[in-house]
Amino acid sequence: MGGAVEAKEKPNENPILWVARPMATAAKQFAKSLVRPSTIVYPFERLEDPKFRGKVAVESGRPIGVGEVWDNYRGVHALNIATCISCNLCAFSCPDLCIDMVTVPGGDPKHPKKCPQIDYGKCSYCGFCSDACPEGCLTMTTRYELSVTKRADMVYSPERLHEVFRSKLPMNPIRLARPENEDAILLDPPLCIGCNACARDCPTQCITMLDVPKPDAKPGEKLPKRIWKEPVVNDSDCVRCGTCISVCPKECLFWGTRK
Amino acid sequence: MSEMWINMGPQHPMTHGLWNLRVKIEGELILDVDPEMGYLHRGIEKISEDRHYNEVITLMDRTCYVAGLAWEHLYILAAEDALHITPPERAEYLRTMCDEFQRVGSHIMWYAAFVQDLGLMSPFLYGMRDRDLVLDLFQSYTGARMTYEYMRVGGVRSDLPLGFTDRARRVLDWLTARFVEYDQLCLGSAIFRKRCDGLGVLKATDCVEHGVTGPMLRSAGMKRDLRRDRPYAVYDQLDFDVAVADGADVTARYLVRMEELRQSVRMLRQILDWLDRHPGPAMAEELPRWLGAPYAPVGKEGYLLKRNYPKGVGFSSVEEPHGEAQAYVVNEGTEHPYRVKFRSPVFANISAARQYLVGYHVADIPPIMGSVDVCVGEVDR
Repeated sequence: MGGAVEAKEKPNENPILWVARPMATAAKQFAKSLVRPSTIVYPFERLEDPKFRGKVAVESGRPIGVGEVWDNYRGVHALNIATCISCNLCAFSCPDLCIDMVTVPGGDPKHPKKCPQIDYGKCSYCGFCSDACPEGCLTMTTRYELSVTKRADMVYSPERLHEVFRSKLPMNPIRLARPENEDAILLDPPLCIGCNACARDCPTQCITMLDVPKPDAKPGEKLPKRIWKEPVVNDSDCVRCGTCISVCPKECLFWGTRK
Repeated sequence: MSEMWINMGPQHPMTHGLWNLRVKIEGELILDVDPEMGYLHRGIEKISEDRHYNEVITLMDRTCYVAGLAWEHLYILAAEDALHITPPERAEYLRTMCDEFQRVGSHIMWYAAFVQDLGLMSPFLYGMRDRDLVLDLFQSYTGARMTYEYMRVGGVRSDLPLGFTDRARRVLDWLTARFVEYDQLCLGSAIFRKRCDGLGVLKATDCVEHGVTGPMLRSAGMKRDLRRDRPYAVYDQLDFDVAVADGADVTARYLVRMEELRQSVRMLRQILDWLDRHPGPAMAEELPRWLGAPYAPVGKEGYLLKRNYPKGVGFSSVEEPHGEAQAYVVNEGTEHPYRVKFRSPVFANISAARQYLVGYHVADIPPIMGSVDVCVGEVDR
């Protein structure tokens, strides 16, 4: 046979049969649909109803639950403000540029805490932001109803996203398998002025400014402290967000492989 | 009087999207046709040049909205070729499974749209109902029903959820029984056969001349399928037949697609068995940081230039549900592709409309164009 297909029968052999067969099939489906319809009457029955959820509806002729919303559905985001470290990675990874980092109360007044604010008018629910989140505080939930009457309501502030988090919806359990990072933040020492900007803005506080000996200093010589501070990155705590690179005024930090 | 041009489209039930078919008629007879595309052009190739390699995947789902995963696979194969990355074997099986489920979903969608062009409403509803089961499966492991964003350079986003393979097998069992009903409704119906037999004939030589591929080419008796002729992913390890039919008409295209559905089910059973027996990583172990999830700022000289990542050119061709799609990706050592080019099979298929429409009647246009399986999203890109 080899996958070759051929319509063996030709029309006009038995006219009654040629009309009766499709009619019989349709009638069978019609009778089935009377007993157990395939549709959900949406506003009155909902996908999350216990009668649908988790039920393998084989008996109705449908092999899996009709309206089951699976836990890894990518719907509205949930943000846990408490664990957000303001690393900006969600905003960097967003292809639609719908994430803004806005100030939330509760941070250090000098360096305010910033959390993502999402404009659902632009969001395409691709999930790159939740994949990128190193702390797992930005996830996607199964909430899918977003109707609003004003355009401004499409913008979800961090507090509003936190409310979604508190509502205990099933959250997308997928965490992108992240390969082991051989890359690290490296320093170009001659350019560094020891300004402390990287250590100050590092969201994980993994950068410490350490005294380094001046290369040509005599042993025991007293050095002016400010100039000879250099950042040292703790690779195991670093989330590779690149904030230090973007704030460095001398552009002396860069990505590379630590020898 | 007699001769005149009429427009079928861009808003017409026959077009299934935005494109225009200009038809020159004399009475009911078609003298000439002129397909006009471009109403849905979004410049996806140009946008891709400004995006990270993984972010282009979001565009691939919008390229063809009924076969998004097949296009993701197409792009990913070319991008991995350009970036010198090899995915793990389990990821390749998962992608092949995506491809075949997508083919099932796409062909059922085609069936629903095609019979609706013929005026049959009940099979349309059955088709849409059954396609939903495939979409349910997609949602269970990709997280969305249409815009999947599942594949990544170097693997796939996530492995399957628990109990997926059993559910998928139940879906396949159920669908196999439905395919019989499809045939009873269409192939066993005198109305369908009288409407479709001998309509829209495009011979194999004409297909080759005009670059027509996919089910249209196979319905003309030519046994060409990239899954067999130029295997990508794991198709060389699967046991399947290439569906071909003689006749080159609308009925033959129907037969080829129905047989492909059965062959896809056959392949999917083998893939699901393999996935049950071989757990493993679904993402490559060795990946550059910029291909992982975070896309942090790159510094003054650019990240890759500093790293001196090897340049490369990637090419891939995939047997998409509509035909042979091709992708070309140029990696110039930055984190964005330098150039991305796609070849859409449907573009070639409907560009040849003059070959299979002239000589028939105006009322034949909906069934003939329906049998081509037009997806305007990928025609215009």
